[in-house]
Amino acid sequence: MKNLVLLFMLFTAVLSAQDNYTVSGIVKEAKNGETAFGASVFLKGTNIGSISNEYGFFSITAPKGTYTLVVTYMGFEDMSQEITLNQSQKVNFEIIEQSTQLDAVVVVAEETERASLKKPEMSVSKLNIKTVKQMPVVLGEVDIIKSLQMLPGVTKNGEGTGGFHVRGGAVDQNLVLLDEAIIYNTSHMLGFFSVFNADAIKDIKLYKGGIPARFGGRTSSVLDVRQKDGNSKNLSFTGGVGLISSRLAVEGPMFKNKGSFLIAGRSSYINLFLKAANEKNRLGFYDLNLKTNYSLNDNNKLYLSGYFGRDSFKFGKSFKSSYGNATGNLRWNHIFNDRLFSNLSLIYSKYDYDLEITDDEFDWISSINNYNIKYDLKYYASDRFKLDFGISGIYYDFDPGQVRPTSDTSPVNPLALDRKKAFESGLYVNAEHKVTDKLTVQYGLRYSGFRRLGGQAMTNYANNQPVVYNSALGIYQRGTEVGETAYKKGETIKDFGNLEPRASLAYQLNEFSSVKAGYSRVAQYIHLLSNTTSVTPLDVWTTSGKYIKPQLSNQYALGYFRNFRDKKYSLEIEGYYKTTDNRIDYIDGSNLIGQNTIETEILNGEARAYGLEFLVRKNEGRFTGWVSYTLSKAEQRTLGGTAGGPGINKGNWYNSSFDRTHDFSITGAYELNDKWVFGSNLVFQTGRPVTYPNGQYQYEGQSIASFSERNSDRLSAYHRLDISATYKPKRKPNSRWEGEWVFGVYNAYNRKNAASVSFTQNQDLGINEATRTAIFGMVPSVTYNFKF
Amino acid sequence: MKTYLKLVLFLLTLSFASCEDVIDVDLQAGPSRLVIEASLDWEKGTTGSNQIIKLSKSTPYFDTTTNTSVTNASVRVINDDNNAEFIFTHQDNGEYTTTGFVPIINQSYTLEVIHEGETYTANETLTSVTDITEINQTKESGFDEEELEVNIIFTDPESEENYYLFKIQRQGDLLPFLGDWDDEFVNGNEITWWFEKEEDEDTDKIEAFMPGDIVDISFFGISEAFSNYIQILIEQSEGAGPFSTTPVPLRGNCINPTNPDNYAFGYFRLTQVVKTSYTFQ
Repeated sequence: MKNLVLLFMLFTAVLSAQDNYTVSGIVKEAKNGETAFGASVFLKGTNIGSISNEYGFFSITAPKGTYTLVVTYMGFEDMSQEITLNQSQKVNFEIIEQSTQLDAVVVVAEETERASLKKPEMSVSKLNIKTVKQMPVVLGEVDIIKSLQMLPGVTKNGEGTGGFHVRGGAVDQNLVLLDEAIIYNTSHMLGFFSVFNADAIKDIKLYKGGIPARFGGRTSSVLDVRQKDGNSKNLSFTGGVGLISSRLAVEGPMFKNKGSFLIAGRSSYINLFLKAANEKNRLGFYDLNLKTNYSLNDNNKLYLSGYFGRDSFKFGKSFKSSYGNATGNLRWNHIFNDRLFSNLSLIYSKYDYDLEITDDEFDWISSINNYNIKYDLKYYASDRFKLDFGISGIYYDFDPGQVRPTSDTSPVNPLALDRKKAFESGLYVNAEHKVTDKLTVQYGLRYSGFRRLGGQAMTNYANNQPVVYNSALGIYQRGTEVGETAYKKGETIKDFGNLEPRASLAYQLNEFSSVKAGYSRVAQYIHLLSNTTSVTPLDVWTTSGKYIKPQLSNQYALGYFRNFRDKKYSLEIEGYYKTTDNRIDYIDGSNLIGQNTIETEILNGEARAYGLEFLVRKNEGRFTGWVSYTLSKAEQRTLGGTAGGPGINKGNWYNSSFDRTHDFSITGAYELNDKWVFGSNLVFQTGRPVTYPNGQYQYEGQSIASFSERNSDRLSAYHRLDISATYKPKRKPNSRWEGEWVFGVYNAYNRKNAASVSFTQNQDLGINEATRTAIFGMVPSVTYNFKF
Repeated sequence: MKTYLKLVLFLLTLSFASCEDVIDVDLQAGPSRLVIEASLDWEKGTTGSNQIIKLSKSTPYFDTTTNTSVTNASVRVINDDNNAEFIFTHQDNGEYTTTGFVPIINQSYTLEVIHEGETYTANETLTSVTDITEINQTKESGFDEEELEVNIIFTDPESEENYYLFKIQRQGDLLPFLGDWDDEFVNGNEITWWFEKEEDEDTDKIEAFMPGDIVDISFFGISEAFSNYIQILIEQSEGAGPFSTTPVPLRGNCINPTNPDNYAFGYFRLTQVVKTSYTFQ
């Protein structure tokens, strides 16, 4: 590693032959000592600057001279300091929150607009946690993932369904990271709430495209969520009481001011109501977020973070179920010198579920565990050249399912599906290169490798066909098993490698506008198996291997960015085109539950998505907010391939279930005075593609629906209006207690948006009916939040 | 197993779902197809010689036409080994019957239907069924502990993969209930398969079982292929929630060799069946 570092230094020394010096440091918030991610630090009157990284670190190299070093960060006062660059030096900033709350409600890129025009980063959505907290939400539960859907290119498959979709991608194509740990299920209660407790979150960034080379493994997006470090200045409490759940976070300094901690908990109390109502059913969830950090010295800092969340359900005496994520991450920040920053992470994450069928005396468990090591470095070579590079390795252990009888009298036999093990590696280098003052280019390369490890036997099939087309019956069927091949522990079943180039550029047209273009290729080696309309907590992940190929996507994007009226307004327009190879599709009647040979239930398909996204924001003033509109298409096609036959839907392209032609939303906040802030969302979306009947016939004395081709119909359009009002009572003098009431109405005009439409025969009348299920009608809510 | 997991998700969704209503939906109209309900079920303890095959046409989904019978077809079934031919003759309302059928366990048969110049064929093997050991009633087994359910108890034969179909109809009810089951997770064990009716609280139209109710029970041994078919059919006719499998165009085993796109709906099945009834106490 050391040699590599040396090599880079040598390389960049050529680029910076002048008499240059470096100023580096950390940007923190004065109030609580949280490091500021994405603050813009620059030398006034020049084009030389840097953006603070995830740990607040910045480094600027410039020719000898006297400068004014300025920090700007949205929602904070600008700060500056005179420096004389005649030697390399450290300058740390503690920035102060703007006293007026007017600018609190802003959704901005992580730097000033001035810089965002120049940075080649595109297709990134960032939400300020304050904004998220003020947006009206169902039942008063602040929800990061729902808030993200108000931005272009992000949708959800309706209320009460898990995950989200980015630019026509599937749920499993999003890499969701909480403090770098992979979160496999982002929802509580099947998708009604997200697993992120806003009180513990500092920063949310969604890469919809142009995924930086340091990320890999998912083709559609990266949602990078960072937890707060914890207040390093004084002990503080944040909390809230809502209709569904209550929250409390404690944070404060530790280790004699060399560190800080954060503990945040959230728990639902629906069970109390259920008990009170004498219901036998139970449902609930809880979350625990932990974080602590310790500065060994100026150049070394340790972070430890963890997350535990769980849902549990009980349905009378018939069954109970629980599921959740658990993650842990130990990080070591090391600053080699004023231009070289490094971070080493050891990460663990787990998702598991347990379903116990009490009646039949058995339980069903499944889990996915991964151990991840990552080493990332950033070298601030010169004002014009910055280099990121690093390596990572992830070891996966999948337990797709075990059935365990819970008593001697259980009718069920024990069963364990084959555990699957795999190792995923990554190696990347990425350069950010300011070619001219107007043109900045980012180019990088990631090499990803995936090795499916043995320790099990794999079934072989006649003619190597796990699925065969039965041309007489016109259906796909399991192939014929012809024995199996045993693979020893540590032996490789199959291995893959992919080069993933990533590139983007920003060209500044003038002071207030720029164009950007990007290309990225991403490989994905693990896949979520789901043949249901929406993913469920009981879905199982599987790996690429002997029969399943890695997904490979290519995305092209082009954008135009403009600021108006002294940056009060901004406009972003982006177009994208994305193709994905080797997208799994399911044969008719596929059986995924308890399935040891998944390859007999799937075909290898492809997907494509394209669209145009518009975002207009008002960033300042009493009224802030944005209008977002996306025009898009998401399709997939599955040919018969080695299985023969025409494929799914006769091998034609068909709409993905997350295809939305139009997606329009308005999000606004109006600050009336110090006491009252009003917020509102308006959403309109084309209905989701669904499969409806196109005929009926009599069989076994019943009317049986015959269905059209997959996804050839649509639900009716989805639209709703939400409003909220936040009331902040006047603070008593000398009181640290800060409280606020948030009143909200979700779906204010009580639109019955169909979550699904069901076609059944009426049991009394015998006629066929279409029954709509709508999840949330008008839902009022009230939440009390406090800080002290 | 599969059914369980689906049920779990379905119930969880329901626990949140605040509103269900019947709406009007515009649907596509697919081609009208021949429907072949060739269920040659051999009731245990009988000769199985009387068999009926029903032919009809499919209609648009919301169409309320009741007379869809196909009356001008010729229908026959052939024993694949000894070429014995059983001609089914049209009686009335699209019902074709024979009184001379000879059922043989594990024997494969071919169905041939000729209608309007098109020939439809299907091939299937007669599957046996084990005996029901006991039928009783409880309140605890089902999802609702306040309602009665009927339990059908049988022992799954260990030496083979078994697939079952239950058909249950309370006397006086308009529609039967169909349920499928296989021994994937329970091979060789004593199985208790229960059925209860959930009270429909909104309409009061669906009533739970009451003492005095008589239910007719049919317990079929079915082939794996038919099980795959009926499983999808049952799931799709139960309606779709957000967590149900995306519905698919269901293909049975009645093909049209010369014009494959013009296949028929329905199924040519050969089963052994135990028929009985139970009176709730």
